[in-house]
Formats: sequence, structure tokens, C-alpha cells
Amino acid sequence: MPIDAAFDIISFTSFIVLVVLGLGVIASMMGIFNLGHGDFVLLGAYTVFVFDELGLPIWLGMTVAPFAVALVGLVLERTVIRRFYAAPIIAMLGTYAIGVVIRETVRGLIGGLYHAIPEPLPGMIDIGDISISRWRLTVILITVLVVLVSYLLLRRTTLGLKIRASLENPALARSAAISTGQIYALTFAFGCGLAGLAGALMVPAFSLSADLGVRFLIQAFLAIMLGGVGTFEGPIRGAGLAGALMVPAFPLSADLGVRFLIQAFLAIMLGGVGTFEGPIGGAALIGATTAAFPWVMNPILADIMVFVLAIVAIRLRPTGLFTKRRL
Amino acid sequence: MTLNPRGWPVILVLEVAVLAALLAMPAGLDHFWVIFVTRVMILALLAISFDLCWGYAGIMSFGQALFFGGAGYAVAVAARDLEITSVFIALPMAVAVGFVLSLFVGWFLLMTRFPPPIIFVALGTLTGSYIGQRLALSWYYLGGQNGIPSIPSLTVGDYPLYEGPVFYYMVLGLLLGVYLLCRWLVRSQFGLVLAGVRQQESRLTFLGYRVQTYKTMMFALAGSIAGLGGGLLAFHDGFIWPNSIGILVSTQAVIFVLFGGIGTLIGAVIGVGAIEYVGFELADRYPQIWPIILGALLLVVVMFRPTGLIGLLVPERERYGRFGKPPKGEDGDDGAA
Repeated sequence: MPIDAAFDIISFTSFIVLVVLGLGVIASMMGIFNLGHGDFVLLGAYTVFVFDELGLPIWLGMTVAPFAVALVGLVLERTVIRRFYAAPIIAMLGTYAIGVVIRETVRGLIGGLYHAIPEPLPGMIDIGDISISRWRLTVILITVLVVLVSYLLLRRTTLGLKIRASLENPALARSAAISTGQIYALTFAFGCGLAGLAGALMVPAFSLSADLGVRFLIQAFLAIMLGGVGTFEGPIRGAGLAGALMVPAFPLSADLGVRFLIQAFLAIMLGGVGTFEGPIGGAALIGATTAAFPWVMNPILADIMVFVLAIVAIRLRPTGLFTKRRL
Repeated sequence: MTLNPRGWPVILVLEVAVLAALLAMPAGLDHFWVIFVTRVMILALLAISFDLCWGYAGIMSFGQALFFGGAGYAVAVAARDLEITSVFIALPMAVAVGFVLSLFVGWFLLMTRFPPPIIFVALGTLTGSYIGQRLALSWYYLGGQNGIPSIPSLTVGDYPLYEGPVFYYMVLGLLLGVYLLCRWLVRSQFGLVLAGVRQQESRLTFLGYRVQTYKTMMFALAGSIAGLGGGLLAFHDGFIWPNSIGILVSTQAVIFVLFGGIGTLIGAVIGVGAIEYVGFELADRYPQIWPIILGALLLVVVMFRPTGLIGLLVPERERYGRFGKPPKGEDGDDGAA
């Protein structure tokens, strides 16, 4: 059983990592907090749904989704987002509005219902006496691959250098003949494409509904804040942690959830150790855990507790759990 | 691009006009519209509360519905289980619930050692509202998905307050009181500090103001007002459901205020009226298109007209306003922004 559970955690974590990666790329590389990101995820999921409705193969939809969403992102960047670079705070309102438009459009199109999408790779793989869902395994592999490629792209290629230069010092980058406008457009489209991919891959696991996005938006932001803004690795690690935390929301049996919830708290506490606030944070978390324990059996409350705890952790460690203490 | 060459106090004119219209309306409207306008005035309380946060204190609150819906649920449960329906108990209770909730959230999100990044505040409030929605959705005691239907009506002594003219004037009175209180507050020295915070927060901090305390106070006041609105709406509509506490209403508050005009108070009231009226006309014919239009409208306002509807009429200088007399012993600057 523990291996089953661990596998579930990893596969759920990879969904979150994908969502976070796109959001993190845009937030870290452009300084824009895209509050519509969850709805780009939704758009990716919706693309797959459309393909399924048309009787086309699901895997085709999953291949098309990232590009379709990236295209939407590109158009939006050229028409809307670029106006906000001078005012990142207004950008939050603007992207929030974009999110509302996408969400309500999808809601209108799917009629406010839940739609289930079958997995493109059904069946299980048996390793010894454990059997693993073939599709989930594929998702994990894809996630690892995407994270790896993104990392190499940003760290090891000229394009990545240009992207980082545009973030670091836009004026200097422009004077070095880097077209920051193009770079921003590309980055934004790339981030949106990742969101589309995340949505496409997760839609068999979470049935499609219009509110899919909001929930993942919050989770992804919590993950980014936990991991620390401005780095590539931070959000991913935060996502790992958040993914592990969010598992209780997954249709698992409740007592497994409890166990991993507590383990994840321990992880959070470990994150805070060695700093001034660490012990306080640890104490607060232990207190909260103890207080919550009688309820935690209820998966919905466990889900809520996770949000609360994540935000508590962020409040106590505003620079993130994994960044060295600044200030 | 203002239509005011002669320099009238446009805001004052608008305020008086809106008040006069609201006072006169029940005489000329049938029962349905009286109820409709009552509802608009209640939502105006929600809008004012968001305006205080974002327009005056610079707190981007995407979770104003938590206080609105939280107070609504509180009075609904109290009315259902404890039969507390007296105006003099239920409404103060709604205010208190809004106050306590927002004081806690504000303390938590704003009173940090270092000024919290705005994204943390936006996200924290959004999460609060989302948590409220999840709780309300899944807690059987709160009615789950259906919410709490058929809440008993408010009472004054033995006399029940049904929706209609009496309820209308009660809400109008409360709205007027809240409005005047806020109007006085944002034009006072307290408001001047907050105006300074909006301009340059770090300077105010260096001058020795406890900026985060000021913000938290404003947030708690806004939460109390939202609570009052939520309590009123629960009794007025006779039911409350998870959307009242969740993302939907939180978004509505943002749209109302940004559309009407941020940082003017009257803009918030006008925004609610305009959106609700157009929404009512359109929602009948195009129930699925309307939310999309609202989102697009928000986007257009944010992009092209950050000052909202009111920005068409009111010059920049008047929007900032004046801030009352400085305390004795300071030099005689008239306090104009």
C-alpha cells in the first residue's frame, strides 16, 4: 500500500508541477502574476473535451492543446498583457478579468456540468504485486521531461539567456539588440502553453468543470509563494511540497490522506528550521495539526486545512521555504 | 476629458442626485422594482467595502465575499436555529461577524514584519473566500450546495419586516449612514495618511506611521460594512447559498467598483446600480453571455478607463478631495492632496 500511495502522490504532484511551471515562468521571468493562469489550464482541458466530442482521438487533443492555448496566450499578450508591463499590479486585475472571460465562456459552452474524459492509455502495469495506472505513469514521465527541457531551455540556451536578460535589466537588454517585446511575447505564450498541457493531461483525472481553473490557480500560487518567487527551482520544489500536501483532495481513502498530510507538515517544518521563525512556524503547525486531527478524517476539511496551513507557512516565511533568508 | 468646465463639485452633485432618486423611488415604482433597488443598495454596501480596501487603503482584496457571506450565514443560522430575528440583534451581529472575520484576516495578511507583497494579500483574501465557499458547500449544517432557504424575516418587536417599502427605507437609512461615515473618514486626517500610503508607502513608514496598522483598521471597517450588507441580503432574499461567500460575489465586488470608479465611494454605488440594472435586462435574454460580458467589461475598464464611469465626470483633483483641518500646532497647509 505505501508504494501505491506514494505513486498517487507523485502523479498528483506532477499535475501541480506542470501548472506551477507555467505560472512560475511568467511570474519569475516577466514579473507578471497571471491571475488568469488557472483558466488557461481550463482552456487546455476544454480543448481535449472538444476533440473528444468531435470523435477525434484524445491523444491528438492533448497534443494540440498546448499549442492552441499558447496561441491564445500569444494573441492576448500582443493585444492586452503588453499594456500592463509598466504596472504589474494593474496586470493582476487585467489577467483576473481575462480569467473571468475564459471561465464564463467555457461554462457557457459546456453548460455548467461536469464532463468525464477517458484516459487515452487505459489499463495498469503490474510490477511485482503492485499495479500502477499506465496513464498516470505517462503523465509523470511527461512532467519530468517538460521540467527538464524548460530548465535546459532557460539555463543553457541563448534564448534562455535572452529571456533572463530581459527580466534582469530590460533597458540594457534592449540596448544589446534583444527585442524584449518579442521575448516577453514568447515567454508568455510558453507559460500559457504549459498551462494548456497541464489542463490537457489532468482532465481525465479531474472531470472537466468551469471552476477547475480557480482551484488550481490558488494551489499554484501557494506553491510558488512557498517555493519563493524569482527562481526556477523554487516554484518546482514548492509545487512538489504542495502536491504532496494536496493529495487529500484526491479521491484517496481518508486515512491515507491523514498520514501524508502529517508527513507534509513535517516537511514544511523542516523547511523552516534553522531560522528565527522556523521554530515558531513549527509550533504553529504542530498546534494546528493537533487541533485539526479529530477532523482531518473528513477529506474536505483536510483539503481546507491544507490551504490554511500553506498560507500560514508563507506568512511565516515570506521569502519562501527554500530560499536563503534575505533582508 | 471631463465635462465640467465651471468647476462644480461634481461628486457632491452626484451624491445629492443619487440620494434624491433613492428617496423618491418607492413612490413611483411597483413592488418588484422596490425590491430590486433594495437589493442594489445592499450590494452597494459590499461595493463600498471593496472601494475602501482597494480605492482608499490599497489592499487588493479578492475575497470581500468572505465577510459578506460569512455574516450572511451567521445571521441565517442564528435566525433558523436560535430564532434571532430582531433587527437590533441580528444586524449588529452581522456587523460583528464581518468585523471579527476581517480583523483576523487583516491582522494575518497585513500585520507582517515586512510589508507583505500585494500578491500575497490578493491571494490570501482569494483563498479565504475559496475556503469559505468549500466549507459552505460541504458542511451539512450550513445546508451544503442548496444553502439555507426560507430564512425567517427580520422583526422590529412583533412587527415583521417583509421586503418592500419599509425594508427599502431601512436599507436606505443604513446605506446613508455608512456612506456618510466613510465619506467623513476618507476625508479626515486618517484618510490623508492612507492617501499618502497609496502614493508612497515607504515614505510614510519612514515618517513613523504604522502603515500596516492603518491598513488593517481600514480593512476591518470594510469587513464590518460587508458584514452588514451580507446580513441584510440574507434576510432580504430569505436565503443564502455558497456562492454568496465565494469567488462569484468576490469578483462582483471588484467589477462593481472598478466599473463605477475607484476611490470615490459614490462611484461604487453608481457602479452597482448600472451593472445590476444592465445585468437584469440582459440576463433574462442571454443568461450565458452576461457573465462573459462582465469579464470583458472589467478588462476594458482596467485597460482603457482606470477611473471608471465616474472618471468621465469628475476631474482628478476632485477625486482626491481634501482632508479636513490639520491638527492644531501644524502649519496652515489646507491639506489638499
